[in-house]
Amino acid sequence: MTATTSTYPPYTASSGLSTAMSRTLKAEWTKFHTLPSTWRMTVTAIVTSIALGAILCASQASQWATMSASQRRSFDPTACSLGGVFLVGVALLASLAVRSVTAEYATGMIRSTFTATPTRRLVLVAKAAVSAAFVFPVALLCNLVSFEAGQRVFAAKHLQVSFGHPGVLQAIIFGAIGVSLVAILGVGLGGIIRHTAGATTAVIMVIVGGVTLGQFLPAGLRQYLPGTALEAAVTVHRSVGLLRPGTAIVVLGIYAATALAAATIRVAHRDA
Amino acid sequence: MIEAQHLTKHYGRAVAVDDVSFAIQPGRVTGFLGPNGAGKSTTMRMVLGLDTPSCGSVTVNGKPYRQLTDPLRSVGALLDAKAIVGGRSAANHLKWLADSNGVNRRRVTAVLDMVGLSDVAGKRVGTFSLGMNQRLGIAAALIGDPDTLMFDEPINGLDPDGILWIRNLMKSLAAEGRTVFLSSHLMSEMAQTADHLLVIGRGRIIADASMEQFIIGNAAPSVRVRALEQTDLADALARRGAVIDSTPDGALVVTGLDSTAIGGVAATYGITLVELAANEASLEQAFFELTRNETDYHGGQLAGVTRGA
Repeated sequence: MTATTSTYPPYTASSGLSTAMSRTLKAEWTKFHTLPSTWRMTVTAIVTSIALGAILCASQASQWATMSASQRRSFDPTACSLGGVFLVGVALLASLAVRSVTAEYATGMIRSTFTATPTRRLVLVAKAAVSAAFVFPVALLCNLVSFEAGQRVFAAKHLQVSFGHPGVLQAIIFGAIGVSLVAILGVGLGGIIRHTAGATTAVIMVIVGGVTLGQFLPAGLRQYLPGTALEAAVTVHRSVGLLRPGTAIVVLGIYAATALAAATIRVAHRDA
Repeated sequence: MIEAQHLTKHYGRAVAVDDVSFAIQPGRVTGFLGPNGAGKSTTMRMVLGLDTPSCGSVTVNGKPYRQLTDPLRSVGALLDAKAIVGGRSAANHLKWLADSNGVNRRRVTAVLDMVGLSDVAGKRVGTFSLGMNQRLGIAAALIGDPDTLMFDEPINGLDPDGILWIRNLMKSLAAEGRTVFLSSHLMSEMAQTADHLLVIGRGRIIADASMEQFIIGNAAPSVRVRALEQTDLADALARRGAVIDSTPDGALVVTGLDSTAIGGVAATYGITLVELAANEASLEQAFFELTRNETDYHGGQLAGVTRGA
């Protein structure tokens, strides 16, 4: 067993929290990108988002002739083209974040994780950071391609807007930020619920269920629901019942931070 | 070095580990022996800071686990080889562990070599047999080149080659001056691997002794003997103060006299011996002698609350 004798560069112990954080981030990133299912899910999310966005746009365009004047006024070609992302893509991408926590609880590997990193809040923060950092560029790509595809569909009816149109670029970027925040929310719900199916359902309920359930709430409250806030983040036309995009991002951020904080407390105080 | 002081764990009203104190010394293999549900795994989880003790404390090299910097460099542990996300390759599983504690990734190749998994380094862990998973778990424990190693039932699922390999590995790790703490409920395996024993039953330490002391202290050697004049022999031996049991196949099992003395008795009375064999006292025998006196495991009420062995 001479092979166990260390022949590697001298190890420098460092007790700094920043070192521990950067090591945990690196480990969580390694975990995240070495799962083949991460990439399968990512491709699925991209394809589904773009295809669904194009279908939504085609449907809108075909109904244009029969739409009322008020419907035409509130028509938002940007938000419509991004519909695939903020209705379905977000749930698929957030499920990656959920699973980064729940898969470890399901298998028991969470014990290896907490043995390697006993400061458990670092683990959850790192999972949230890695998920959000991965999801942001993916969502941005989805938004850019969906926007472009949607505007090409609308071009047939001369309904298209361009990138240069005020608010368009902001909607594309804020939409991606919003999806990243939902991913952080997913890590939080994953840590609280600890079961893949349960936590994924919770994320979907929060986004889609919020919109459905929201019909029964007064508009003043409804605009603060996560799903409605995500819609507001990608909406260019100011419309009644939706927050300003910047406010919507702040609201989503509060949801994400609250869920993550709750998960941190729960995970830290439980036996693993 | 692992030290526990008054370590206690309750689950509700059930006590899984009950006021346990011990010191696991470096340079030898310490076996952690006890029936399923006796508190072995719970104790190990508390050592690793996974479960919080209800009372008492446990330290590794003088520090509670959660206060160790880069703990994988001090302690390597294998708790449950199957507790692993199956989608990753073996090498990638070890890579995240290395990354988490700032261990050079070249170490991944080295530990895969050590456990004999180099050929399957790129294969998904989900396709591994239990034996391969055990080897991967041992590689994971060795990743930080730690001076303390802890293995919970590491030979489950291994073939005879694998068992021999683990036995030699444990011994060589201890010979390098490391602390090796190994749990098992398999007595014969423990007898061949451990130098020192910590025996736990119903959450309490019931023995902490070297293997030799433990066996001598808890089990007397016996002699198996058969004679043509079986009854005469039994009478003669009884007169010499021996304790005699008979086996279903008609042999006598004699304790209190060694085989030389029994041969002498037979010669004196002109008895013809047809079989005379000394039974070394075994760990298994010592263990059952000890636990018969100390506790009654047949209730089994603890098994349900300690989450596995």
